[in-house]
Order: sequence, then structure tokens, then C-alpha cells
Amino acid sequence: MISIDKSVMQTAPVDLDNLSSEQTALEIRNLDLKYADKQALFDVSMKIPKKQVTAFIGPSGCGKSTLLRCINRMNDLVDNCHISGEILLHGQNIYAKNVDVASLRRNVGMVFQRPNPFPKSIYENVVYGLRLQGINNRRQLDEAAERSLRGAAIWDEVKDRLHDNAFGLSGGQQQRLVIARAIAIEPEVLLLDEPTSALDPISTLTIEELITDLKSQYTVVIVTHNMQQAARVSDQTAFMYMGELVEYADTNTIFTTPKQKKTEDYITGRYG
Amino acid sequence: MGKWFKSGSPWIWMTGGAVSISLIAVLGLLLLIAWRGLSYFWPAEIYQWELVDQQGVRSTLIGEIYDTEAVPTERLLSAGHQFKQHPGETVTRYLIKTGNREFVNLDFRWVLATDIVSRTAPYDVAKLERSKNGDFYGYPIAIIEDGKRLALDDVEASFESHIERAVALSDQAVSLQKGDIGSINYQLENLRLKQRGYELDNALTDSRKQALASERERLQNEYLELEKTFFALRQAAARDAVVVRDMRGEEVVLKLDTILGVTYSNRLGIVGKLVHWFKGVGNFVSADPREANTEGGVFPAIFGTVFMVMLMAVIVTPFGVIAAVYLHEYAKKGPITKMIRIAVINLAGVPSIVYGVFGLGFFVYMLGGSLDQLFYPEALPSPTFGSPGVIWAALTLAILTLPVVIVSTEEGLSRIPSAVRQGSLALGATKAETLWRIVLPMASPAIMTGLILAVARAAGEVAPLMLVGVVKLAPTLPIDMNFPFVHLERKFMHLGFHIYDVGFQSPNVEAARPLVYATSFLLVSVIVSLNLTAIAVRNHLREKYRSLEH
Repeated sequence: MISIDKSVMQTAPVDLDNLSSEQTALEIRNLDLKYADKQALFDVSMKIPKKQVTAFIGPSGCGKSTLLRCINRMNDLVDNCHISGEILLHGQNIYAKNVDVASLRRNVGMVFQRPNPFPKSIYENVVYGLRLQGINNRRQLDEAAERSLRGAAIWDEVKDRLHDNAFGLSGGQQQRLVIARAIAIEPEVLLLDEPTSALDPISTLTIEELITDLKSQYTVVIVTHNMQQAARVSDQTAFMYMGELVEYADTNTIFTTPKQKKTEDYITGRYG
Repeated sequence: MGKWFKSGSPWIWMTGGAVSISLIAVLGLLLLIAWRGLSYFWPAEIYQWELVDQQGVRSTLIGEIYDTEAVPTERLLSAGHQFKQHPGETVTRYLIKTGNREFVNLDFRWVLATDIVSRTAPYDVAKLERSKNGDFYGYPIAIIEDGKRLALDDVEASFESHIERAVALSDQAVSLQKGDIGSINYQLENLRLKQRGYELDNALTDSRKQALASERERLQNEYLELEKTFFALRQAAARDAVVVRDMRGEEVVLKLDTILGVTYSNRLGIVGKLVHWFKGVGNFVSADPREANTEGGVFPAIFGTVFMVMLMAVIVTPFGVIAAVYLHEYAKKGPITKMIRIAVINLAGVPSIVYGVFGLGFFVYMLGGSLDQLFYPEALPSPTFGSPGVIWAALTLAILTLPVVIVSTEEGLSRIPSAVRQGSLALGATKAETLWRIVLPMASPAIMTGLILAVARAAGEVAPLMLVGVVKLAPTLPIDMNFPFVHLERKFMHLGFHIYDVGFQSPNVEAARPLVYATSFLLVSVIVSLNLTAIAVRNHLREKYRSLEH
């Protein structure tokens, strides 16, 4: 069993089965997903609570990233991808016909596995989302840039070189820049797809601390390979296996008293 | 031996050898045309030969050595030559440029070394460059100023100034003719077209007729005024003459307005020769051609080449990029897309003359013809856009180079990491916004690569141009001071065609040969500098969008 550092777990556990609609950020209902002939997700249903960190764990290919990418409809970009079921944001199905995908993605930001800054200056990277919304007021952009960079705990490192190319930053700094870019447009939900898998241990630690800070303002959903990381940063953990949601409970429960045999086998390192 | 093969050294030698051979070939080519072309401007020594031919007739020859070759004695003997004593295995034979075209039959002459009695390089002999009939070699002995003969010994210092005066006056006359008088002719032609337009619309009222007539009269008066100035200038330029004693020993009077410059080559030191060389090169790239392109400069051809290539680049880039974006970003991946892509790539293999024929049929006759019908009916039956012109040449070459731009743009688009696109989409950008703000800027180095290849191909293309716009001699440039300043319907000159024309169509092949080399070298330099500019821009862009490396 993995010991849990209680100091990080600031949020009291919520009752996942009886979440009120105010407490729910996202609700996934009977989600199935097929890539061509291969089914990748089987009947996933879960509620993700507001302003908490929810982690998806599971072995490679279990569908945790796929599920995450469903939440901001990134899977739309994949050819031959068929989705049935619903994901509700504010009680609205994001897969309904009249949904504007671009505005959905403004509400549900995403950070990817590898840092992917744009080939622009640090400043332009951060305000990219705002410029897309037609905001070109210098003062407004400056404020948003500083706020987001501070929010992503990178302001002190870059404040003197905001107009340098973003590629001059280290990997860890780039990843925090990308997070800053995502929170600059003030989304409600922030999806993190293995955000530390390409980083060194020290950068990983910085990002983990950042994630804990972020939940005061955003609902964070994180996919991670690293069970210790899930234990350290998340309030809820969902364990997935072969496209199915095996167990979903508060992190404490999952890592100390899992109900399912598969979960226990995975977190004790018997496979994965 | 087996071990040596295994070590991989033969492979390294082979590949290295292939690279060296290519390098040597390219450098050899450049050196040859550069040497042959640029040495033309170096002032050669002017010699005076005393000759005695086989019949024992003495003669004098003044000129430059143009070429030297060794001829087997056998061949000369069998051709009927007789030598007093056997001159050995081979006889040296000189090709001598004697100039003075209107006084001797040939301005080039082969002379056998055995016929030469003596060779001197006299201090006073000069080469006079003329605007007609090529160079003149001889001893300037006097100046005739306003009918007064002044011995050159007294006025030596002012000989140059006399020529400068005449040249300056002639230049003024030419610029008056090309500038103001050309402009008046252009306006008169526009007036004629305007009147014709009114006639066609049945709108030629009396008041309009009167207005046109008075305008025409004003222009006519202005023209007469300018013509008077023009003739005055010409007359002033023709005031003086120079008396030159030529190789026959006769005194020839040459009007100074036909003389462009005088060089005492034998008096020049190395610095003087260098100055002369730079002047010659400068003149070559900045002056208009003379005498059926065999003399003078090639400025209109340089201008035409660069202008046409740039026009082509402006047309082909947006077209190619847009097509590539559709093919790569929007078209569904399927057999039809694949076929279109293959067709595009195959277009690059179509012989260029086919494009020329297409351009003539489609652009010039169909498109240009319809444009004339619609917008220029007053000029018919003489065509405006319905005849070959620089715009049609640029369009034809744009189609010719389109595949190159499409292919390299697509390559650039496919190299952009999907993570970056997704990053933009995840921030709420639409696909079009992502394309415009992220993908295309990042693909710009690849687009530039396509453009570089397109420019390289287009600048060297001659065959299709002969059908769609290039001429041997264009009286006006496609850009001038007459409204609307850019005249895309005009025919233009092109360095590639100029080489062909000078080298193969000129009446005086010997005289033209160095010009062919010089023009070739110039064409290569123009292409190289166009490419270097594009490469510099591309490198700058690459530096800016360096992300592709990780």
C-alpha cells in the first residue's frame, strides 16, 4: 500500500454517489467509444466534482486518455471515431448537435503530455486564447498574462523575458507556460493528460504543487501513469482497465481499501 | 581486400567521389562562363602588325588578339599554303579583331604566325567605341571642332572632353526621346483610343470632339517644342568630329555623336585597366542593347527577367499554398485525393514548351482576347492583352512551377507536430484560426523552399516564354513613368532568350560570343542572387519557428 501524505489532501471527501448538481462539474453517462472496429470505452458513467482534482489511473491502453479527450471533444479530430452516450457540462450534453466545439474548449482547457508551446514569444503564447476571442487591448492582455503566469507559478522565472521565444524555456517551464496559457482564458475544467511524463523529477514536483493550487479555482482532471502522483495530488481516483471504469472513489479509499480485486492488484503492482 | 571492403571505406570513397565530381562540374561551369564572360571587358592590348603574305604583299593590321590556336602544318599545306621554309609541326594562327567594319570586308581576320614580320604595341593607337558599325581602331590625329581642324597634339587634353560633351548631349537627346516624347506619344495614343471608345459607344458629341481636338493640339504643340529641342541636341552633339588614321594609312573622319568612348589601351596601367573593366561591366548591366543586341548592355533583359520572375512568385505562392492547404488539411483521404496529388506531381514532368503552347492558347488568345473584347474594344483590331505579354508569361510559368510549391508546402504542413495544432484547438481556436495563426506561419520555411525551387526553375525557363511574351528587343520596359506605371500587357526581354538570340541569331557570331558568356554569367548571377535572397528569408523564418526540431 502507498502511504498518503495527508497534508496535501486539503479537501474533505465528497459522497460521489450522491453529488448534488451544484457540486458536479461534469457528468459522464453511459459513454461508449469506438475507433473504427475497436471499442475503446465501455459504458463509462461517473460524476466529477467541482473544484477538486480527479485522477484517472490504469495500465497503458486502458482508455484513460481517450476518456479525458472526450471531455473537450478532442476525439473529434480522429477519423472513424464514434461516440455514444452523454457528457454533461452545466446539465448540457456536450455531444449535442448545436454545441459550438470551440466555445466548449474554451470552457474545458487541456494540457498535453509533452509541452507544446507555440513558436511565439512567451507573452504571445499566454495571450493566444484571448486574442482568439478578439481581445487586443494591451492593458487587458498584460494583466491576464501576469495573472496566468503567476497562477502557473512561472511568473518570477519569465517576467524579465516575456518577449523571448518560448522555446528558450526548459521542459518544466514550458509545461507550466502551457498551463498558464490554458488558464489565461479562465476555463472551468482543466484536463491534464499525463502532464509530467516528459519531465524531470524536480519539474514534476513543481507541477504537482501547482495542480494542488489550481483546484481552488478550477476543476482539474488528470490522467497519470504514476500512482504515487495520483495519490499525492488527487481527491478522487478512477481506476480504468480495458476501457471500463473499474472503480471510482475518493483517493484515500482507492489506495487503502479498494473494493475491487483488479484495483488492488494494480495498485499493489501486480500488473500494469 | 575483403577486410577493406568490410570496413566501409570503399563506400565512403564512392560517395565522396560522387560529391566531388558534382562540385567540380558546377565550379568548372561557373568558372568557364565567368572567365570567358568577364574577361571580355578587360581592355586588351592593341597591336600593329606588319604582314607579308605568300604573294609577298605587305600590309599593316591594327587590332586585338581575340583567339589563338595551333594548326597542323599538314593541314595548311594540303589547303594550298606554301611556306618558304618548313615551319615545324604546327603553325600558330591568330584570330584578330580589326574593327573598322565599314572599311574592311571582315572585322575579324585569321593571321598565320609565319606571315607576321613584326608586332608592336604603339602608344598612340586607340580603340573608339561607336554606336554603329562596332569598334574602330586607329590613331586619332585631329579634332574638327565646328569645322576647324585642330591637331590633336595641341588639344590632346580636350579630346576626352570633346567626346564627353558629345556623349552627354546624345544621352540627353535619348532620354528626351524616351521620356518626354515617349510620354506624349503615349498620351496621344490614349486620346485616339478615347475617341474611338466614344465612337463605339455613339457618345462622340461635338463638345467632346472639341475637347479631344484641343487636347491633341496642346500635345502636338508640346511635341513640336520637344522635337525642336531634340534636334538641337542632336545637332549640337554632331558638331565635332575626329580624324583617325586607320591601318590602311588613310584618314577617316568620324562624327563625334557616333562615338561612345575612346580607350588608349596601351597607355593604361593596371589601375586604369581595372577602372576600365569596372566601367565596362557597369555599362553592360545598365545600358540598353545596340546593333541587334550584339553590342551595348542588357539592362532591359535583366529587368524583364527579374520582373517576370517576381510577378510569377507573387502569383504562384498564394495559389500553391491554398491548394496545398486544401489537399492536406481539408480533403478527405481517399483515392480521389491521392489521384489529384499524383496528377499534381506529374504536372512537374510536362515539358515546358507544352506549357508555352497552353499559355498561348488559353491565356493569350482566350483570356487575353476576351479581356480585349470586354475592356479594350476601342483598340481593336490591334490587341492589348490579346497578344503575348509579361503577365501571360508570368502566369504560364506560375502554372509550370505550381507543383513544386504545392508539394513542398504539403511537406511542410505534414511536418508540423500535431501536438501544436491540438494545443491551439484546445484553446478554443477553430481549424481555420489554427491554420492561419499557427500552422501556416510554421510552414512558412517550407513554403519558401517551394518558392526558391519555383524561382530557380522559372528564371531558367526560356522555351515557353518565346510563345507567351519574350521578344528580341522591347522598346519599353513593363514599368515606366506613364500612368498606370505598370504595364503588364507589354512584351519584355529576358536574359535566357537574349543568350539564344545573341548566340544563334546574330549576324556576327565572333563578336557575339563573349557576350553570350557574359550574359550567361549574368543570368546565373541573377538566379543565384534571387535564390540567396529567398534562402536568407527562409533561414530567418526557420530560426523563428524552430520547434520542428524537437
